[in-house]
Amino acid sequence: MRTVLLTGLSFVLTGAVIGNAYYQKKQFYPSVVYITKSNPSMAMLYIQAFVFVILMGKLMRKVFFGQLRPAEMEHLIERSWYAVTETCLAFTVFRDDFSPRFVALFTILLFLKCFHWLAEDRIDYMERSPIISLLFHLRAITLITLLGILDLYFINHAYYSTLVKGASVQLVFGFEYAILLTVLFMAFVKYILHTLDAQNENPWENKAVYLLYTELVLGFIKVVLYLAFMMIMIKVHTFPLFAIRPMYLSLRGFKKALHDVIMSRRAIRNMNTLYPDATPEELQAGDHTCIICREDMLEFSKKLPCNHIFHTSCLRSWFQRQQTCPTCRMDVLQAPRPQQVPQTPPPQQQQPPQQPQMPQNLFQGFAGMPPIPGWPPQQPVQQPGTSGASTTGTPATPTTPNAPGSGTHTVSATGTHPSTTWPTAVPNMPPFMPPMFPFVMPYGGQGMPLPPTRPEGLTDEELKNMEGQERQNVEARIQWLRDIQCLLDGAMILIQQYNTVASQSSIPNINLSGTPSNNTPTDTNNASSSSREKSKESSPVVNNDRDLVKDLSDLEGATGYTAYRRNDTHLGRSNTRRT
Amino acid sequence: MAGSALRRLMAEYKQLTLNPPEGIIAGPVNEENFFEWEALIMGPENTCFEGGVFPARLAFPPDYPLNPPKMKFTCELFHPNIYPDGRVCISILHAPGDDPMGYESSAERWSPVQSVEKILLSVVSMLAEPNDESAANVDAAKTWRENRMKFEEIAAKTVRKSLGI
Repeated sequence: MRTVLLTGLSFVLTGAVIGNAYYQKKQFYPSVVYITKSNPSMAMLYIQAFVFVILMGKLMRKVFFGQLRPAEMEHLIERSWYAVTETCLAFTVFRDDFSPRFVALFTILLFLKCFHWLAEDRIDYMERSPIISLLFHLRAITLITLLGILDLYFINHAYYSTLVKGASVQLVFGFEYAILLTVLFMAFVKYILHTLDAQNENPWENKAVYLLYTELVLGFIKVVLYLAFMMIMIKVHTFPLFAIRPMYLSLRGFKKALHDVIMSRRAIRNMNTLYPDATPEELQAGDHTCIICREDMLEFSKKLPCNHIFHTSCLRSWFQRQQTCPTCRMDVLQAPRPQQVPQTPPPQQQQPPQQPQMPQNLFQGFAGMPPIPGWPPQQPVQQPGTSGASTTGTPATPTTPNAPGSGTHTVSATGTHPSTTWPTAVPNMPPFMPPMFPFVMPYGGQGMPLPPTRPEGLTDEELKNMEGQERQNVEARIQWLRDIQCLLDGAMILIQQYNTVASQSSIPNINLSGTPSNNTPTDTNNASSSSREKSKESSPVVNNDRDLVKDLSDLEGATGYTAYRRNDTHLGRSNTRRT
Repeated sequence: MAGSALRRLMAEYKQLTLNPPEGIIAGPVNEENFFEWEALIMGPENTCFEGGVFPARLAFPPDYPLNPPKMKFTCELFHPNIYPDGRVCISILHAPGDDPMGYESSAERWSPVQSVEKILLSVVSMLAEPNDESAANVDAAKTWRENRMKFEEIAAKTVRKSLGI
């Protein structure tokens, strides 16, 4: 209402000014001269021109956008304020060229800027609305073409006038329109991508990636344009204060685009290398709705180390922001190597039936001691040699076994030897440990280590993992060494058990060291010292292990880690029992 | 095919219309734009907000569900966890990642697993049990802690106001 009133008023006043001039001079030329000579009349005409510009803007808006949404309006007003402030700053730099023409050029620039912003917002809106009408397409295409032509025309004009007349305010316009052209181009690319996407029946997974790269390239162009503009302005005029804010914004935008692209690449790489594709069985087994997009997962889905399954594309866009599992928030980068998961299950599934048999066969025949209540599975190890070992009931601390080779363990007849090297073997345990516990316990908490695959049994992929200098390769090698160490420890346990049994049935012991000795304590000493030496030799491995242990402490809640912790506490308990 | 954010919002809208949780109504303000929702939340029973119907707006980011929506009550609500301008301060509405202040663990924050329904249910429980430890409206938190009678009086007033009485 107020705008209508003001517009009407300005028309009335203009009419009055012109009418007055014509009334006084009666002729066209004298009245024109009269108006241009009179300051109030000119002021009135300038205001009228301004009103015309606004009316024109409204008309254009009606033609190209229809009704503006509140968010668009808000956006527009906010940006306009900044633009007006910057224009005023620019006036101070070019106060020498100040003229009505100059003001008019700036007004046109501002006017076109507004339309660029609106076009940008409108194209973004495409993604939000389920209904995109034909009218929308028509408007978008004509608007983008029109704005593109205008931008090019003004850039061209600025370029030639700078060539002919030397550096002037046209420099600013040239750069401004070049920037606007990049904005427009971005909107155009988005429009094309959205339209293509809308035509597709299936979701288009790579759209986000294309958008990221377009943003990166255009961000780079913008930054280069602004830097060039800064340089030229400093050389020709003075420091362009008015360009600082947009320049900072474009720098920040570029940095963000770069970051996004890097994160996206990393996510894609992890996706391709680290996480296995979910098999149809796995998808059928559970709820096969992707929790990110709430749609069915029929194909293209990945399984994380925590066994949660998502769409590949959904995961990619999430990992671009954060490297955790959306469901359980497990840090997927810190997780144990997932290649292990498909590799280890076969030997494991075979082992449980074997494991309980051996100790039972061994000990049930020899030692007829009654089982200690509460710890029935564990006592066979203790019975033969350490019948005198007191069972202290102190609570276990999971950290005790984390000090390899500390030598504080009292050397009892059995049992202490592998505890020194145990922690290195622990992270090797895959997340399937909990169900194995009943079977593991007959060994006094240290389960028979899983036999690692033999070198000739390595797949090409695993071998490739061990080559090279990168962290992943080094980790793969360390893992391999750990597997070997684990196997050695297992062998030590077996020898130990053989010895304890043998000592009772007066069969000659297996001598672990070169010197002949028959008592088991020395053997265990040797065993532990040799394993200690080993851990010294591979000290980087041990260090790495500690890091790993530290890292693992962040993984509370993850399946693999709980298994590890439970294993650990259990181990601690068995240790205290032994000492 | 429409964008994934739009598809997910449409799916959630469908879900909310088919099985609406008790005391909550929510949906897009305008079916042409699924990124602006309006919600009506009933004051939970046996609390000082019982009987009230509180309107709120939800604004979804273009990359929803990777980032959380913003929620704002459009009515006056005197509550420790609602800013005086109506914005809601609950941890699941905070962008993912670790809190720079170290106040909330990342486990409490937004993740794509959350949904509009979960947000609204958390808001209902927030209405029932204000958390005066992290106050968005310090006055309200102070009144809640020190002068419960007065808090309930103000709440009763807002309830009446929300019903237009």
